[in-house]
Parts: sequence; structure tokens; C-alpha cells
Amino acid sequence: MAAIVGGGRTKFGELWYDNPEKLLVEAGLKGIESVDNGLGRHDIQACFFGSFLYQITNKLGLIPGYMARELGLNIPILMTEAACASGGSALYNACLGIRSGRFDTVLVGGFEKMTDRSDKIGDDLMFAGDPHEFDAGFTFPGLYASMMTRYIYEHGKGDKRCSDALAMISCKNHHHAMGNKNAHFRREFSVEDVNNSTLVAAPIRLLHCSPVSDGAATLILTSPEKAKELTDTPIYIVASHQATDDVSLYTRDSLTSIKATRLAFRASLKETGMKMSDIQIAEVHDCFTIEEALFLEDSGFYKKGEAWKGIVDSYKEYEGSKHIPYVNKDSELIVNTGGGLKADGHPVGATGVRQVYESYAQLRGEVGGNQVECDEELDTALCHNIGGTGGIATVHILRRGG
Amino acid sequence: MSEPISRRKVLVDYRISATKCVDCGRVYFPPKSFCDNEGRESRMLTVDYFYKRGEFYTGSMINVPTVKFKGLGSYLTSVVNFPDEGFKIPGRITDYIPPAGGVDVTQFIGRGLVPRFRRTYTGGDDGLVYYSSLNFSFEGEYYPHQEYVKEAPSKERGVPGIVGYGVYLPKYRIRNEGNGILGVMERTLPYADEDTTTFAVEAGKRALIHAALDSRHVTKCFVGSESPTYAVKPIMATVSQVLAPGENYEGGFFSGGVDSQFACKAATDLFIDAAALVSYPVFGGEHVMVIGSDNSQAAPGDPLDYTVGAGAAAFIFGRSDVIATIDHYLSYTSDTPDFYRRAGEKYPRHGGRFTGEPAYYKHVLTAMKTILKRSKLAPGDISYVIAHSPNARFPQRAALQVGFTKPQIEPGLIGAKIGNLYSGSCPAGLAAVLDISEPGDRILMTAYGSGAGSDSYIFTVTDKIREKRDRRVTVTEQIESPYREYVDYAFYRKMKDMA
Repeated sequence: MAAIVGGGRTKFGELWYDNPEKLLVEAGLKGIESVDNGLGRHDIQACFFGSFLYQITNKLGLIPGYMARELGLNIPILMTEAACASGGSALYNACLGIRSGRFDTVLVGGFEKMTDRSDKIGDDLMFAGDPHEFDAGFTFPGLYASMMTRYIYEHGKGDKRCSDALAMISCKNHHHAMGNKNAHFRREFSVEDVNNSTLVAAPIRLLHCSPVSDGAATLILTSPEKAKELTDTPIYIVASHQATDDVSLYTRDSLTSIKATRLAFRASLKETGMKMSDIQIAEVHDCFTIEEALFLEDSGFYKKGEAWKGIVDSYKEYEGSKHIPYVNKDSELIVNTGGGLKADGHPVGATGVRQVYESYAQLRGEVGGNQVECDEELDTALCHNIGGTGGIATVHILRRGG
Repeated sequence: MSEPISRRKVLVDYRISATKCVDCGRVYFPPKSFCDNEGRESRMLTVDYFYKRGEFYTGSMINVPTVKFKGLGSYLTSVVNFPDEGFKIPGRITDYIPPAGGVDVTQFIGRGLVPRFRRTYTGGDDGLVYYSSLNFSFEGEYYPHQEYVKEAPSKERGVPGIVGYGVYLPKYRIRNEGNGILGVMERTLPYADEDTTTFAVEAGKRALIHAALDSRHVTKCFVGSESPTYAVKPIMATVSQVLAPGENYEGGFFSGGVDSQFACKAATDLFIDAAALVSYPVFGGEHVMVIGSDNSQAAPGDPLDYTVGAGAAAFIFGRSDVIATIDHYLSYTSDTPDFYRRAGEKYPRHGGRFTGEPAYYKHVLTAMKTILKRSKLAPGDISYVIAHSPNARFPQRAALQVGFTKPQIEPGLIGAKIGNLYSGSCPAGLAAVLDISEPGDRILMTAYGSGAGSDSYIFTVTDKIREKRDRRVTVTEQIESPYREYVDYAFYRKMKDMA
């Protein structure tokens, strides 16, 4: 078990004037300064950073060297690349670092600066597919669109509400971002807006896609013992799991389910002895809305093939409320409380860390106007981060009570 | 820029090369050295799916492509399932232009797909051209799926001749207005991912299927063209890497060949060389393939721009299972500057007023008349006559002048419907005639290449033609396919220049 005692983030969006390392420093200093009982830079024993494309998009290498210079520290700094799960994987590694006993206070960070290469970013993102997919003309949206096509075919069976459900996910996440001052987009969209937006890779339209964003997010991770010295309200990471699968979509057994998600999720529940119904809020990797629907099934919140029906029913029942929960019988789950990748933004390497920061802030009741309101006290959150089309997934479960 | 990763990928993607576990049968694409089920002890066979049929499992209509695919506009991609083998590969759907407003992709699920060798992208005007077979067209439309059934060649050796042939005409067409230009009513053109190399592969693939010949028995491959993809770098090497002539050895093949150039007779000139090689003991091979392939070039607005076509024809020569023997041959050559393209120039030019009388007619008529004289045959002894078709008038006029009649001429007069295929023109005409020939028919073919020269051949059709008939895709069925699509001049010009 590890504990989070602080965290920070930049605004997500097109951050024209910022370098990747500057973004990381801004989020890192915010994280360090957020610790209740005070923490200095020199208390950090190691850093675990995650990012995907900086070598290509920003012509940078040796991030540890950049960050040693920027932070004025000469501590171990470890880089993780796992496409869009770079952030989640950096956190996973940091948890290993804490659990091993080697470190008791570390800085975890994720960053990405993508908008400098807007003309070629579509090609760059295909590094998370395999070269055969690239040479067959696929784009990243095209790969997820292939999952969406198959989902609609297998489960929608001609019912238009299935496509609408995949639009509602976008509407809901944009709605959740309205109170998030750091979000890339704070603007409401209707189902019609989504269904009429620019065609990117049919059936995926522009408003089914998370944006290309710049940004960084950090966490201060400590051992549970150390955490008690630093704050009265640490948030505990009670499960940290990562699983992998083929990089290529076409070699997988199923194109309507993510095996790496299922494996990491199952291991997380097993470790904690929890059930899905124990989870109150979740940050889900909605790079494209279909992925959020797949998670709802891979996690067992809805039965396989039935998420779209649950989404439609929940959206219709709760449309307009501050947070729109997914409801299945007696269970309720609020997903992507700050807008998710869709609206908060998706600087890919930052996302996995941003998700945990969002949940940490929600569990500590520090989100201000965007605070989730529950009947029961908010105690448990889950964060789900995916790389590529499902070649890697991390799941972290956070608890206020430990 | 040349990248080693692309070179390695070629070996996998050109033939959809996979490995199959001998013990459990699981297939791996991209190929793996061991089976996940059977472990490191598993025995893996290399298998390929170049001739197989796949199915549309799922996919997407790409409306915002990666930079490298921008030239294609919108297109469909697919996860292609090979249901019998239980594995999938990524693919792009070609010869299909989705509607601008989008398309319900679920409607394609389950459709049969045929692998096609196409260009993926280029590295710019001075970069490499990349190809793969991860491209598919819908089965049951323009391009039929054909099984590649290999039969052991007969042990009997006789007079050398044609063992099999294949013609590939692209799906897209443009009409000439009114009464056409010099009798050319409509013409074939390449799709955005086609070029001389892909045409050559398609024609060669069909020739192998028609001959039912294992490609390892073909030990030389000639490709004649005046629109080669590269100024320096043989098309033949790409065609061979795909069609796999000769014994495979560490990613290459024990076979040879060369690209040839002699305007429109670059391929026909080598028919006799192919026949000679298979009769020459030191050659050590049994079969030679000759392909004529062109995306015929013409400057925009030039009179030629209204007669040029696109496509390829391939012929396999050998001494066993011959469908037509080569009985007589003659070539006639002179330095005549009727048509040329200087190195570095994009389009060819006509040399003054040489084109008709001193060039085409002089060489074609001399060759045609002399071969008849030397073979002691009269036009009445010939069943069909074919002459190179720069347009639809010249070949007819030449043949009539020698004394042939319209029924002898018309079956080979396909230029009116497909345009001038340059190196593929005369060979495609020969194929159209073979499509309808019966044993005993005698065929006279006279090619013409600017610069200038003519090759005349007299073939006699054998009984074997009937046995192979079911495996051919005829020229007529391609010309008349209900799935052919007509385009306007702007589209035609764009495609022409992309190829």
C-alpha cells in the first residue's frame, strides 16, 4: 500500500508557450507545495515520470537530465513509456518503489506536449498501433472505430439507441467538465451535436474523440507511515495493477472487450477483497467514447453487450444533474467526474496521473464547485488507464479510509 | 529515405506471410517463431495468404487519414478475418470510394475480401515506393477471387510455347466523347494506389493461376514497360518478391530477370528469348514469365491523353503443358524517331510527323508480310490476327492491307475499349484471342514499339487450351464487367499522375 499526500496539475489544452519540462515543473511544484504539513524539494527521494511521444513531438531525450536541472536535484529519475498509459504505468512503478521499501517519498508525474506537431500527430499516435495497421491505412480513431463498429454490430443489432449511447458518453463527460477550471473544453454538447459532428473515422465523429492536448499532472506518493506525518487525510492506493495484451488490435480474441482491463481490474478487486459495487467514482479511459462503454462491461458494472442500454437509461434519468451517474439496479457509479479524457483533455502521458489526481481531490473533498455529491460519504475511487488500443492497462483503487 | 524496417516488413506484407503451428494449427500474423499454446518446442511452418479469401470482420471509414495516406482521400479499412484459419490481419479496402457523407460500416461485416497487391504510400517524389498485400477488394465485385491450384507439370517436353497467361485491367474507366478518338471509345486508368508494378503483379498472379503452375518452376521474369515506377530499380525485383518465382532461399529466390524497354514492344520482343531460354540446357529452368505493364503516359491535353490506357498482360513460356506453340518469329528494327522521352522528362513526345507511315505502318506491315512469306502462310491460313493498338484504327488498317478480314481482326482489337496499354497492348490482344481460341487455331501477332521496331509471331493453339479454360479471367469479362466505374477527366488526370 502507498499513500498520496499531494498532487498538482496544469491546465490542459493548447499551451502555446510551455515546454514539456516546464509543464512538468509547474505541476511538480504545485504537488510539492500542496502537502498539508509541508514538504521540500529535497525530501523527494526519486521521481517516476511517464510520457509517450516527447522524443518525436518535442525532439527531447533524457528527461531525467532535464528534470534534474529543472528541479535542482540529483536523485534517481525513472521514465516510463506505455503510450496513453504512460502516466498510469509511472504510478504503478512508483507504487513498486514505495512497496519495496526503497523509497518513502517520491514524485510521480505524467506529461505530454502534443500540439506542436498538429500536422503529424495522427501519424505519431500510430506508434501505439503496429506498423501493419499503419500500412493498412489505419489511424488511431480508425482502430477504435473498428471496435465501435463491431460493438454496434454485435450488441446494437440495428437499434439506433446504441449509437446514441456512445454519443451520450461524450455529452455526459462534457457536462462534468463544466465545473472543472483546468479542463481543455468547458462546453456542453447535445446528442445531435455529437452525431452531426465532423466525420473522423466512421462511425467515430469528432465529438466521440478526446482532444490532442498539452499538460502535466503530478502526485506526491509516500509510504503509509510517512503519509501520517505529512497530512491528516492521506488517500491510500489500496490496489495498483497493470496488465498487458497484444499491441495489435487484430490479433486479439475479442474486439469488443479489453483483456488487459479485465485482468488488471480483476487483480485489483482480488487484492482488496472489494466488489465493483464498492466503487463510488471512477476515472475511466474515454479516449474514444466506445472505450468507456467497454470498461463498463469489462468491469462487470453492466453485463456484456448491455452497457449501451444502461447508458441510455441513466442519461435520460439524470440529464441535467451536476454529475450524471450510471445506474444498474441498486448500484450507482459516477464516471469521469471532471470530464474525463473527452473534455478535461488528453495529454496522453499526463492522463493516467491526472485521473488519480482528480480522484484524490474528490476523495479529499477539494474540488470545489465540481465536488461529487453522494448519499454516502465519498470513500472509494477507481482509476483506469489504457495504452494503445488495449496493449496495456493499469487499474488503481483509491480509498480515503485506507 | 530507405528504412530497414520497411524492407523487413516487405517480406511479411507482400504475401501476407504468417507462421502456423504444426501441432495445434494456430496461425500467427505477424509470424512468430513459437506457438503460445505449444511453447518453445513447437514446430512452426511458414504459410502465406496471398491467394486466400478473407472476410470483413469489422472496420472503419477513414475520413481523416494519416499524412502518408492523404492522397487516397477517404477509404475503408478493415480487420480481415480468415475464418478457416481463425486469424485476422489489418487491411485497407481498395477499388472502393466511400460516399462523402459517411457510410454504415456494419453493412460490410461478413463480406468476402480478396487480397490485392497495391501501393501503400511513397516517400515523396524522390523517395521509395512502398507496397503491400494488406489491401483487399470486395469479393463478388470487379475482381473475382481465384483459387491457386498447383498441378505438377507434365514430364513430356515439346516445342516451346505459352503455358499460361493473365491480363489485368483496372476497374476504373474514362469515356471519350462522341465517336471516340481514332476509334478509342473508352480507356482503363489506374486507381490511386495502382501503378505499373501493381499491374504487373496482378497479371503475373493470374498467369500462374491459369497455368496452375507452382511459381518455383518459373526461373526468370521479364517486365517490359515504358512507365516503370523507378528510373533505376527493377520492377522485376518487386514482382518477383511477390510472385515468388524459383526456389526460396533466405527471403530471396533463385531466379532472375530484368526490366526491358522498347516503347510498346518491350515485352513481346522477349517472348522469343523466353522460348529460347527454356530450350537451352545451361539455363537450367523450365519456365520464363514475360509481363508487359504500363500506366501509359501522356501529357495533359496531348492527343495521346485521349488514347492511353492502363494495365498489364503476363505470359508464361515453357515446353510442357503448352496451350499455344511458337511456330514462327521475326523482328524488324530501324532507328526511327517517332516517339521518345528524354531522361528526366515526365511525358513522352511525338517526333514530328513520323508516327503513321514511316513508323507504325512501315514496321508492322514489313514484319507481318515477311513472316507470312517466310512461313509460307497466307492470310487465309491464319485464324486471328493481332497488331499493336496505339488506337483502334491503325491495327485494323494494317491488317486489312495485308489481306485479313474483319472476323480475323476484331477479336484482338480491344484497344477501342481499353485504350493503348503500351507494353501490355499487343499481349492483351493476344490474350483476348486465346480466350476464344480452339485447338488448331493459328494466331499471328505483330507488336510495334516506337523507336522503332516490330515483332511478329505465329502461334498454333493446342488441345491443352481447353483444360486451362476454367482458370482464366477473360479480357472481355473485364472490359464488360458490370462493376467497372466511369470517372471524369479531372479524376482520371489525378489518378494518372499519382501512379
